[in-house]
Amino acid sequence: MDLIVTKGITKIYNPNKIPVHALQGIDLTIKKGEFTAIVGPSGSGKTTLLNIIGGLDRQTEGTVWIEGTDLTNLSDNKLIDFRKNKIGFVFQSYNLIPVFTAAENVGFIMLLQKRSKNEIDTRVLNLLKSVGIVEQMNKRPNQMSGGQQQRVAVARALASKPKFVLADEPTANLDSKSTTDLLDIMENLNKKEDMTFIFSTHDQRVIDRAHRVITIEDGKVVSDVNSSIN
Amino acid sequence: MRQCAINENIMGMIIKIAWRNIWRNIMRSLVVIGAIIIGIWSIIFLVGMVNGMIESYINNAIKNEVSHIKIHHPDFINDKESKYFISDITAIKNEVDSITGVKAVSYKTITNAMISSSHAGRGIMAIGVVPKYETNVSGVSQKMIAGKYLTDTKKNQILISKRTAKKLKVKLRSKVVLTFQNLDNEITMGAFRVVGMFETGNNIYDESIVFVCQKDLNTLLDINGNGHEVAILIDDLSELDSIQAKISKMYPDLLVRNYKEVQPELALFQSQIKMAGIIYMVIFMLALVFGIINTMMMAVLERVRELGMLMSVGMNKMKIFMMIVVETILLAMVAAPVGLILGYMTTSYFNKNGINLFFYSEEGMKQFGFDNFIYPNVPTDTYWQLVVAVSLTALLGSLYPAWKAIRLRPVEAIRGSFETRDGLMVWLFKFLRNKIRSIWT
Ligand SMILES: Nc1ncnc2c1ncn2[C@@H]1O[C@H](COP(=O)(O)OP(=O)(O)O)[C@@H](O)[C@H]1O
Ligand SMILES: [Mg+2]
Repeated sequence: MDLIVTKGITKIYNPNKIPVHALQGIDLTIKKGEFTAIVGPSGSGKTTLLNIIGGLDRQTEGTVWIEGTDLTNLSDNKLIDFRKNKIGFVFQSYNLIPVFTAAENVGFIMLLQKRSKNEIDTRVLNLLKSVGIVEQMNKRPNQMSGGQQQRVAVARALASKPKFVLADEPTANLDSKSTTDLLDIMENLNKKEDMTFIFSTHDQRVIDRAHRVITIEDGKVVSDVNSSIN
Repeated sequence: MRQCAINENIMGMIIKIAWRNIWRNIMRSLVVIGAIIIGIWSIIFLVGMVNGMIESYINNAIKNEVSHIKIHHPDFINDKESKYFISDITAIKNEVDSITGVKAVSYKTITNAMISSSHAGRGIMAIGVVPKYETNVSGVSQKMIAGKYLTDTKKNQILISKRTAKKLKVKLRSKVVLTFQNLDNEITMGAFRVVGMFETGNNIYDESIVFVCQKDLNTLLDINGNGHEVAILIDDLSELDSIQAKISKMYPDLLVRNYKEVQPELALFQSQIKMAGIIYMVIFMLALVFGIINTMMMAVLERVRELGMLMSVGMNKMKIFMMIVVETILLAMVAAPVGLILGYMTTSYFNKNGINLFFYSEEGMKQFGFDNFIYPNVPTDTYWQLVVAVSLTALLGSLYPAWKAIRLRPVEAIRGSFETRDGLMVWLFKFLRNKIRSIWT
């Protein structure tokens, strides 16, 4: 079964005032294990699309299926649980709870899932290892660099054992070294754990690393290039 | 060696976030904490002061005038005429004295009289006491400021207050004349020598009475062996009702009343002080609730992106709501003990040492029957009421900000925009704002 399927998604903001047609019919299929970039200029509708796929916002028309589940059928409360258990999020910034340490930030999402303490402890440690933050695990976000914070965010996104990770311009605030590091980590997790990553960007260096590049303009898919070997 | 910090449940985590969030903006938190501390402290102090004043008033009244239980002829209290006397009052004194729980008993003869010196005359109440009994019941013998208390040895001694002495322009050992009607409505008079002067602290009371020996007064009134009043002090106030009931049963023809019945305003005072305490608390809570709403609203606004993130990654509304409520309650829990302890320490210090609120005036509160020195005394109830009041206030004050927080829409919040679906409060606010604007312009 395909991981994500969208059919005829449209999104109109402010339908009653000055309507903004942010998305105008998006049909996409994303399979498990993809490392996909959503690309397009600012205002093209990347964030809107990711928000709808991630169950953060509702489309005006069309349907989104995640592993066969139609998100439209889920109530707001069900959607919160759905996000908690099925989707990992990495945002451009403000990913972490400022008063929590790196380890606490990664662990708290598993507490929300009511996982056992032992499981949480081992998984937090493993995840922080895989993103190279073990040394900083007891630091708070403001004691870490932007790149380190984004790496903790990736670890947090994976902590809940999601079906896929959505990352909306995760490198927008990073220098090129940190950008490369973060992409290395994401690609590694994609390879090793077969984790699906969907990230938006308009940075060419990031685009070059993607295995599949979906380009949207004015809320429409204008190209979809799959360069992955398999 | 490395320890993971995750070893708690979800509620523990919420408490942890809430607690640490308090200290993110220390100044703002300290303002609220300070307000709660000052509020609690001032209420404890205020309640303590008022209570101390009332207690001193009541104790003074009991000591000098009222005693705990009094026995009269039923008609005497309406019409203080000499003919409404109690027969064989000595026997009653002895019987009451033998009741367990009774500390001291005295009896007296009371009559309206005119006291006159060569300068002036005044209407007063002449009280005939048996000195050796009276000193056990009444505190007046300890309030002597000149001369001595009455003794059995010499005839026709009189005690007057300093104020009466001034009005009559008499000194110690001066002679005064008491004039009154005896049982046959004949005018009788007797010359008395001033042997002492007293000052109880209650000016109104001081100016209205004089003390003489009962046997002198009885001789003049011609009611030997009888009297008008039996005054009883008991050991333990909690036995007041039972002892009163016992005495009432023994003397069904006489009127037996406790101090609250003798002076109903004493009981009224006691209930009023409780009311006043509750009113202060309500005012304090009202002021505090707005302070808390304001502070927590600022906290929520400051953390819109963070709240948006938490909602996005799957923290449900219930938990977000709890987070804000718990933070507010923790804020109160930091402040309340400090306020309670400060209040307790201040009032206990002054309870030992007294506090002179009326140092600027010699007369001060004395004219109203209060002591100038007040010994604040806080009922234990006040502390519990405050704990409940502050917790309730914190809870109340957190509800609106918490509600605002859960109305955030994650997509907008994460962009940092504070747009919630307009709720009732927003609608009300806008409505009022437009109304005010239209009145203004
Ligand atoms: N909440 C909103 N209200 C109105 N218009 C919006 C809102 N969010 C986005 N838009 C508009 O929708 C279009 C797509 O925005 P967005 O999805 O954020 O694009 P991108 O992420 O590619 O920059 C833009 O024209 C933007 O101005
Ligand atoms: Mg965007």
